[in-house]
Amino acid sequence: MIHWKIGTAALLCAALAGGSAAFLAATPLFAQETVKLELWSRQDPSGPLRPGNVIKAAERLNKELEAEGSPKRVEVAVRESPAKGFDDDALQLLKVFGIGEGPDIFIAAHEWICAFQEDGFVLKLDDYITKYPQHFGTIFPTLWPSAKCPDGTYAIPQDAEARMFFYNKKLLREAGYDAAFVDAMPERALSGDLTMDEVLEIAKQVVDKTKAQYGVLHRPNKGPDYIMVFQAYGSDFVDPATGKLLLERDKLTAAFGWFERGVKERVIPANNTAMEFDALRKEFYTGNAAFWMYGIWDLGSVAFPTYGLPQDEKAFFADWGWIAGPAPQKGGSPVTLTHPIVYAIAADTKEPELAVRLLGHASAADLNTDHAVTTTHLGIKPEQLEDPRYAKAWPLAKATELLKITKFLPNNSQFGDLNGIIYAAIQGIESGRLTAEKAADFVIEEASSTLEDVTVK
Amino acid sequence: MTSIADELTIERRGHSGSAARRRTNFVIFLGPAVVLTVLFFVVPVVIDIAVSFTDLSRSLRISEFTTEQYEKVFRTDRRLSQVIGLTFIYVFGTLAIFNVTFGLILAVTTTAIRNVSGSFFRGVWLLPRMSPSVLYILLWLWAVSPTEAGLVNQVLMQAFGLDAPLDLLTSAPIALIIISNGFIGASMGMIIFTSAIRGIPEHLFHAAAVDGAGTFAKIRFITLPALRWPISFVTIYQTLSLLVSFEYILLLTKGGPFYDTTVYALYVYRRAFESGQYGYGAALALFLIVIGVVVALIGWRFFDMERLLQRPRIEVH
Repeated sequence: MIHWKIGTAALLCAALAGGSAAFLAATPLFAQETVKLELWSRQDPSGPLRPGNVIKAAERLNKELEAEGSPKRVEVAVRESPAKGFDDDALQLLKVFGIGEGPDIFIAAHEWICAFQEDGFVLKLDDYITKYPQHFGTIFPTLWPSAKCPDGTYAIPQDAEARMFFYNKKLLREAGYDAAFVDAMPERALSGDLTMDEVLEIAKQVVDKTKAQYGVLHRPNKGPDYIMVFQAYGSDFVDPATGKLLLERDKLTAAFGWFERGVKERVIPANNTAMEFDALRKEFYTGNAAFWMYGIWDLGSVAFPTYGLPQDEKAFFADWGWIAGPAPQKGGSPVTLTHPIVYAIAADTKEPELAVRLLGHASAADLNTDHAVTTTHLGIKPEQLEDPRYAKAWPLAKATELLKITKFLPNNSQFGDLNGIIYAAIQGIESGRLTAEKAADFVIEEASSTLEDVTVK
Repeated sequence: MTSIADELTIERRGHSGSAARRRTNFVIFLGPAVVLTVLFFVVPVVIDIAVSFTDLSRSLRISEFTTEQYEKVFRTDRRLSQVIGLTFIYVFGTLAIFNVTFGLILAVTTTAIRNVSGSFFRGVWLLPRMSPSVLYILLWLWAVSPTEAGLVNQVLMQAFGLDAPLDLLTSAPIALIIISNGFIGASMGMIIFTSAIRGIPEHLFHAAAVDGAGTFAKIRFITLPALRWPISFVTIYQTLSLLVSFEYILLLTKGGPFYDTTVYALYVYRRAFESGQYGYGAALALFLIVIGVVVALIGWRFFDMERLLQRPRIEVH
């Protein structure tokens, strides 16, 4: 009887143990928790893999979570904004955060990050960056300043690029410059031997002696490229001691003077700011302009696919080339500008740890290289340089040379607004409404009356 | 036979019935208009006033109530006087050249010719108003394109031998916004004036003809006096409409070059939505409301609109 009881009890225990084990084994399946992370991204044909890589990263993170035995799984929902530029997108996103409808993760132009930080919308990342060296440890140290606000790091660099003056070698040769002179321009620019005014002079020769109608063209809306000219003439727009906006009248006047001389010499068209982006590109890539002030990604996005510029390095450099923003005078410092796009995480996300790890995977060298080579943007990690695909994309390797002298737009929350004022002043000069001096006055008056904490020298 | 008391009761009942009907009619006929006016005019104005006393900025957060926005309007905004001056030129120019004068010319000429031709030309002039604004401005952008492909330049270069293409967007932006808006505005005046001209009894023209009046005399002494009220209405209505409209300007010139075509309403839009200064934009918008009300009252007085709304003294059967 006792034996029977013991046997029955043992059997019951075994059944219970087996059932429990089976239940426990099945538990993660039933208890699996899907964490939805919303990603805000601008619809941008020049970088579809910025959100695309985050979606791919979710797969990697989920495998990692599975291996860890975590019940959580990440799902990324992309919220696309139709904004026409990163400035409009940032303004829209600030409103979205303001009404409490912000995403968990967002993609932004780096100079806006402190505007989000000032209003408490973005997560401080210093501790996370230290915690996950496998994800963030090798990102180029030169890129991190673009993700910083006064009290810490608030974003993760997603890419970089280089802004330059593209030029049409064929037109320069037609204007009478010999091939050696034309080919030596990039080196001369980097050494400080080629000056901003010499660019205008060369452009004038092209306009006077060839059929080309334009000398120098630049973007027709608010953006970073023309800031290169101001940086060449010494304006960095932020006081390094205080972090406040800084406007120096003489330096502003000097930079506006370059635009003024360009228009006066009929090298920069008076209606540059009234023209459409595509029309400007067409003028340059079809041989109707000597210089085009823009960025390296334009080759992959537009020049190669749309205008059939040679994709072979040798063939390309036979008739086309680019120079850094030249020095204001001989022996001065040349300048280029890089404008990193960054990933950032909302301060109120419920899963900051998962969001950081997700962006860590999105910043993986192979995924970032996918973005870099398909859109002609520069990578963020040295290991990408060893990727044969990256090495094959010669514009990236060539443009990387410019990063030695590159600058950023200032990470000041009001710089976006200041840039709008600067752009209006350039428009004023080019359309003949302002002189260089009046343009500097206009910028100082407008900035002083509409922005806060502007230091004027 | 009913007593006086009964008659009084019937009268009272009748009166009370009629009062109830009046109240019902008020609710049915005026109710929707009152609700719409409150919802889309009074409430926005109250919100605008409230926002103008805050520091509401790009993240839609209010940290304090302040009169700072009004100080900016009166003290520090140096663009404002230029913007107001331009708005005056734009409104007055569009109104004087197109919305009233050209509308009147179209109405007079299209009613003076054969009915079929008149209807055709009126139809043509209605096309700009019927076109979607973006499409209409895209056509303008092609017409005034500063390249040789632009319509105006094609005509000037091929028919008149012009050497280099004109860039009207840079050299004559104010004229362009007046013309592009005027082409749309003229059609409204045209319709109203045409309708008014059609309402003039035919026999007056025959009588004038018998008296030896020519075409211009008929217009001068019969048509124009009959159009006084429509002209007054179109002037006031279109002034208010032009004061607050900016979409065609935004699409055509973006308010530029520089601030050359930034009229007041566009300036408010740029400050509020392009710079994220919502509090300041609200303060500026409040002045636009005040300007609109003042202009409407002046117009009302100047054109003696009260008389227009009086009952006709003669009942025509």
